[in-house]
Amino acid sequence: MYLLEVKNVKKVYTTRMGGNTVQALSNVSFSVEKGEMLAIMGESGSGKTTLLNILASLDKPTGGDVLLNGKSILSISEKEISAFRRDNLGFVFQDFNLLDTFSIQDNIFLPLVLAGKTYDQMNQRLNPIAKRLQITDILSKYPYEISGGQKQRTAVARALITQPQLILADEPTGSLDSRSSDELLKLFTEINQDGQTILMVTHSVKAASHAKRVLFIKDGEVYHQIYKGNATNEQMYQKIADTLTLIATGGVRDA
Amino acid sequence: MRKFFYVKLAVNNIKKNSQAYIPYILTCIGTIIMFYNMCFLATAEGLGVVSDHGSLRFVMVLGAIVIGIFSVIFLFYTNSFLIKKRKKEFGLFNILGMEKKHIARIMLWETVIVTMVSLVTGIFGGILLSKLMILLLFKIIAIDVPFGFEVPREAVLITVALFAGIFILNLIYNRLSVRLSKPIELLKGSNVGEKEPKTKVLQTIIGLLCLGAGYYIALTTESPLEALTLFFVAVVLVMIGTYSLFTAGSVALLKILRKNKRYYYKPKNFISVSSMIYRMKQNATGLANICILSTAVIIMLSSTVSLYIGMEDVLRTRYPRNIIVSSVSVTEEKVEQFDKYINDTTDSMGIEQIDVMNYRSLTLMASQTQNTFKISTDASGISGSTLLFFISVDDYNRLSNTNYTLEEDEALLYEFRAIVPGDVLDFNGLELRIKKRIPSFDLDGYMSAMLVNSCYVVVKDIPTISTIQKALEQEKQMQQLLSYFYGFDVQEDRDVQMSLTTQLRSNLNKEELQCSVDGMEISRASFYSLYGGLFYLGIFLGLLFIMATVLIIYYKQIAEGYDDKERFEIMQKVGMSRDEVKKSIKNQVIKVFFLPLVTAVIHIAFAFKVITKLLTVLNLTNVPLFAVCTLATILVFAAFYTLVYSLTAKVYYRIVS
Repeated sequence: MYLLEVKNVKKVYTTRMGGNTVQALSNVSFSVEKGEMLAIMGESGSGKTTLLNILASLDKPTGGDVLLNGKSILSISEKEISAFRRDNLGFVFQDFNLLDTFSIQDNIFLPLVLAGKTYDQMNQRLNPIAKRLQITDILSKYPYEISGGQKQRTAVARALITQPQLILADEPTGSLDSRSSDELLKLFTEINQDGQTILMVTHSVKAASHAKRVLFIKDGEVYHQIYKGNATNEQMYQKIADTLTLIATGGVRDA
Repeated sequence: MRKFFYVKLAVNNIKKNSQAYIPYILTCIGTIIMFYNMCFLATAEGLGVVSDHGSLRFVMVLGAIVIGIFSVIFLFYTNSFLIKKRKKEFGLFNILGMEKKHIARIMLWETVIVTMVSLVTGIFGGILLSKLMILLLFKIIAIDVPFGFEVPREAVLITVALFAGIFILNLIYNRLSVRLSKPIELLKGSNVGEKEPKTKVLQTIIGLLCLGAGYYIALTTESPLEALTLFFVAVVLVMIGTYSLFTAGSVALLKILRKNKRYYYKPKNFISVSSMIYRMKQNATGLANICILSTAVIIMLSSTVSLYIGMEDVLRTRYPRNIIVSSVSVTEEKVEQFDKYINDTTDSMGIEQIDVMNYRSLTLMASQTQNTFKISTDASGISGSTLLFFISVDDYNRLSNTNYTLEEDEALLYEFRAIVPGDVLDFNGLELRIKKRIPSFDLDGYMSAMLVNSCYVVVKDIPTISTIQKALEQEKQMQQLLSYFYGFDVQEDRDVQMSLTTQLRSNLNKEELQCSVDGMEISRASFYSLYGGLFYLGIFLGLLFIMATVLIIYYKQIAEGYDDKERFEIMQKVGMSRDEVKKSIKNQVIKVFFLPLVTAVIHIAFAFKVITKLLTVLNLTNVPLFAVCTLATILVFAAFYTLVYSLTAKVYYRIVS
């Protein structure tokens, strides 16, 4: 069984005054296996973010279905959806989305506190994660006091601490310098090797080259996909770049 | 064409920012209407019909000054809020190629538009309302309303000048704040990374001490005269305390809560405690302002309302009889003359005297140590001194229907706030045995009895009073004679009473009898115009302060809303449901906005006693009345506050979601 299945998902936006409709996603289908690291690529406006919002259950599709562990997330009631999101999904965003009113430690604790865990339980989970992400020293600091790379590692820690089925990352390297980006991607690879399923949306070739599989979206459809197989990151980079060139110049499917 | 462009842009800007601008313009109009009306009442000729219009005008001039000062501060504050919010917009203009002088030109037009709209509407509205206001005032001070409608030129001119001045001041401030900033700063606006507020232990302690001291003074002040001076000390202390506790104390308290891990890491407390720390940092001053304004409104309204309602009480305290003749230092023969002329006058007018109350008495200030009284030679002020009031037992028995007999060395004693230990009174060596302590003494309402410690001493006869006086005033050259009080009620109506008072005054003066003649009815008019004027002013200023409170709350809600929007989104992403977030925010916002009201009520509870003392200076001794008025005012104010809160909360939620 697949961990995540996306079946014929459509999304049509209607402008507020009625009349105009915009088709963000016309027909998207794909699936993710447990332990996979998948990247979704596409240009601005291709519908990446819409897709991610639907997967995150922050938005509802106009048609189609999304299954997590075989269960449709669309059927979950409004009441349970937050708890569902908290327990099953972890998020990493481009702009970190840390709350500046909380210390780093409290930012990481946030989902656990919401789930009603005690301080000791939370602390037990935090220690190994903090050590691994090398943020033990900054736990008592505040978001405005640390660097972008540290912020993003904090966000990763916040995503990991709930031990989610799936981590969704939206342009995770988008606000980072190249060194921090490299570190983060290395971290993602390591986490993935430990069995964590990761799905990221990006238009950075470098970020995508760390994934085991890359999906390309164009005009609201899955246009193409490539597998990493045994290729190195550099070979994968080359493959992705070639594909992007093909897509941009209007090339043929299945290059 | 070009000029037109800027006007259009200015109009557009105001429209686009209507959420912030409409309340601002409404406030401008409101303050202009109020200020014009105060000026109108201070200058209107229609007010001339009030017999005591001098003091009434004085009250109105005072009101105009208070409103004027308040308008300057308040409109400046509101404007600075507006401009802070619009910095981003100006930054965008700047980056799109507009020079700062062009932005300045837009600002000029905006100011011109706001000024024109508010001044024209305000003055027009003010003129329309002025008739209503004068009707209301005359109703309050119980005077028949004269016909006519007037627009005093001075009032209009002063209003225009003041508010044009305020608008120009704001324009200068706005231009400076744009000129002094760089485009990139303008663009970023208020969005700079915010630091966690530090715990200010010292300020918290100072705040606690000041508040404690203020409350202590308010609770322990007994004499009204002390209250008069100490009240302002207490007010200043409480204000300092309020400001420092709102700014430093709240943060300190929240941080202590945060240290308690078991309390802090609960879903409900986790978010509210940490966000409240920041909220308090940003809003503390505004909230302290609201708190102090609310306290002021409630105290002002409740005391002026109770003064006005309790006016009959006040009059009776001040005037135990309808007509009062009193004279200091009179000889025995003069007393007979007084009686004769007073009786002649009432007889000639065919008026019957009812409930006649006449007595001779001596009043002296002495310094008291234990049971010994001396006339103090050094002018050390009133504290520590006691007012001695002597009356003969014959007068006392006659007036209070009692039947005491006293020997030369015996006395009856009534202590008002003064305490005399033992059973002997020692007047500088002359000792009198206290035969009995009488429980009440209701002869003398109008003396300064309420203000200072007093002893009322009843002795055998008038020669005994003189003996005591000699003992006390040994070294003094001039000896004051006893004073004479003659009061009576009459059944005739107001006009007759007033003409009787004037008649008595002229008759007694003709006979060269030094005295003062007071009629309750004559005083009633001036009491009404003074207390009615104060009442009117209280309502007026109360409205103004309420308006200010409303506006501060409104702008706070908007500002909070924009800040919270982002937080709201993040929390939803990490797994809080919409409802949870909404509930949590609502919880915090309610705490933040009702904190000032609760604090204001606590302030008032502590201030209650000292205010009742102050009211006794104004002859109002009816404490239950004041209590009821205070309670009613608090309830009305709280209801109003809640209404405003729920209205503005709607705007807030619209911004957040």
